[in-house]
Amino acid sequence: MTDYQDSRSIFRRDFIKTGLVASGGILIAPHLAKAQGSPNGEINIALVGLGVQGRVLLDSMLNIPGLRFRAVCDIWEYSRTYGLRKLAKEGFEVNVYENIEDMLEKEKDLDAAVIATPDLWHSRHANLCLEAGLHVYCEKMMARTVEEARSMVLTARKTGKLLQIGHQRRSNPRYQHAYNNLIKKAKIPGRITNINGQWNRAVTPDVGWPKKYAIDDATLTRYGYKDMHQFRNWRWFKDLSGGPISDLGAHQIDIYNWFLDAYPKSVFASGGADYYPTREWYDNVMVIYEYDTSYGPVRAFYQTLTTTSAGGGYWEYFMGDEGAIKFSENPALSKIFREERAPEWEKWIDLHYLTQEEAPPAQEADKVDVRETAPLAKFDIPIVLNKPPHQPHLENFFAAVHGDAELNADAEHSFKSEVGIFRVNEAVEAKSVLEFSPSDFEV
Amino acid sequence: MYKRILAIIAVSSFSALAIAEKSPIELEYPAPFLSGTPVPIVLPNLESADTPPPVVLAPDGVENLAYGKEVTSSDDFPIIGELELLTDGDKESEEGYFVELAQGLQWAQIDLEEEATIYGIGLWHFHSQKRAYVDVVIQVSNDESFSGGVVTLYNNDHDNSAGFGVGKDMAYIETNKGKLISGKEAKARYVRLYSDGNTSNEMNHYVEVEVFGSY
Repeated sequence: MTDYQDSRSIFRRDFIKTGLVASGGILIAPHLAKAQGSPNGEINIALVGLGVQGRVLLDSMLNIPGLRFRAVCDIWEYSRTYGLRKLAKEGFEVNVYENIEDMLEKEKDLDAAVIATPDLWHSRHANLCLEAGLHVYCEKMMARTVEEARSMVLTARKTGKLLQIGHQRRSNPRYQHAYNNLIKKAKIPGRITNINGQWNRAVTPDVGWPKKYAIDDATLTRYGYKDMHQFRNWRWFKDLSGGPISDLGAHQIDIYNWFLDAYPKSVFASGGADYYPTREWYDNVMVIYEYDTSYGPVRAFYQTLTTTSAGGGYWEYFMGDEGAIKFSENPALSKIFREERAPEWEKWIDLHYLTQEEAPPAQEADKVDVRETAPLAKFDIPIVLNKPPHQPHLENFFAAVHGDAELNADAEHSFKSEVGIFRVNEAVEAKSVLEFSPSDFEV
Repeated sequence: MYKRILAIIAVSSFSALAIAEKSPIELEYPAPFLSGTPVPIVLPNLESADTPPPVVLAPDGVENLAYGKEVTSSDDFPIIGELELLTDGDKESEEGYFVELAQGLQWAQIDLEEEATIYGIGLWHFHSQKRAYVDVVIQVSNDESFSGGVVTLYNNDHDNSAGFGVGKDMAYIETNKGKLISGKEAKARYVRLYSDGNTSNEMNHYVEVEVFGSY
């Protein structure tokens, strides 16, 4: 059994279609909710950054009714063209901008901005949009440095505008089920003692670009890039991002903090730029966190390796004395295991918290070494996300803009969760255990 | 890994002219390039990732007739890229090397300029992320509008949502190795390729199409 429906169907936008009418106007769906500050009930949106991740978010947003795309801002003409043409086909006439200040100066009807620019620009772009009176959805990591992230929280406080950070697992019903039902109510793992997690990727070459779409040197310099190679591969440069631990680890370490209801008290890490000659950031990082939690002490290991896909991709593994929950945004990588000593789980199966995987028939030849623990019973999570992975988090943001929901990953909480991630690279450099103080998590 | 079959295969026929020396078509692969996080792929008719490519035979010396040929499409204003990218000989999958067509059932069509015997088709939709394209239907015809004389070479539309009948071919996960499809030695001037989105999004993409045949 799979807990994912036919994956093509989750992208079908059958419930609402906008279209260009002959006059160039827009067909508006009639059943849109009232957005705060928008007399016509729509949320007017600017897309800031329309690279690969920006397009992933756009694809999800196009499934959400009540949104009106008004502007696209990106320094790369290639991406601006993409936004202009794609949104035109979807029935939206947008203005395109290279510069965000220019956009905010000219676009006076915006309600929200969705920011998916490189990390070095997150705080600048988010702060500008908040100051301009917009609600903001900003991709993680919040920023390149903890100080920049702190400034975003302060700006959101000052302006009273919403700032959602793109930790999309926080809105994923599978993750919410794991936290609310499996961990909090059923206490499936028992006492959580350890966590393991990883995001491993096979070797990838540097990203290139077609010469005819190169940005001129003056423009690149103006926006902080040495050249096109750096612009296209910004995730690997220390002035532009936090590297793989920030790019990939941020999602999963946030889950550690969420599921434990705690932030780490110390971090030790080792890593290096060992493999790729053209990349500044550590291409492999291994981290050990220590937590004090309501369960007692918890030690958590995390690794992100960019030279191997060993270990089956990306997952978080919560281990306790009665069971373990191996969890992933990819349902195929998720599984629950029950220790022999655990109380029966029938009650939770009856409540559809989990489903038991049918045990394979015992083989005559199988012999279990008495010194080994027998194979554990396996269970699955009967919750299906029938939407693209980022869609629920965007829906949560827009529901909050309407005043109908609380943000699932607001800036205040995201800041606290990201503090421990920001310090990993520092710990690698220090080659020693770094302790956190409560003030580290305050703004 | 697909290994070239070195043995020459004699194809028997009642006609002496049909006895020809043929060998398997071997596609030239671009370098693998995967980026980002793939969306889980679940399709009822998905081919196993380790399925070897089919052996498609063609007479020695058969060339890619599609190279440089004109491409038209149901979407004459692509979202990004140009239709010429389908036949420019470049199989890179990065930004700037693929064309993106609108959502829904869309087609791209190659004009071979005259009727040819088609032995095989090499197809690369998009290979910088693992995904499968749906309702992929490949047809050939001598009629530019495909209103007659249509031969279907490939159809993975398992539920007939595209309207060309239920397809028996399997959907497959895109890689740098593309997909080799038998041309069934059909005789046609035009090659039309349909798709209706993919398992990562609703859009339709093409990096390159090769048509191995002879005039």
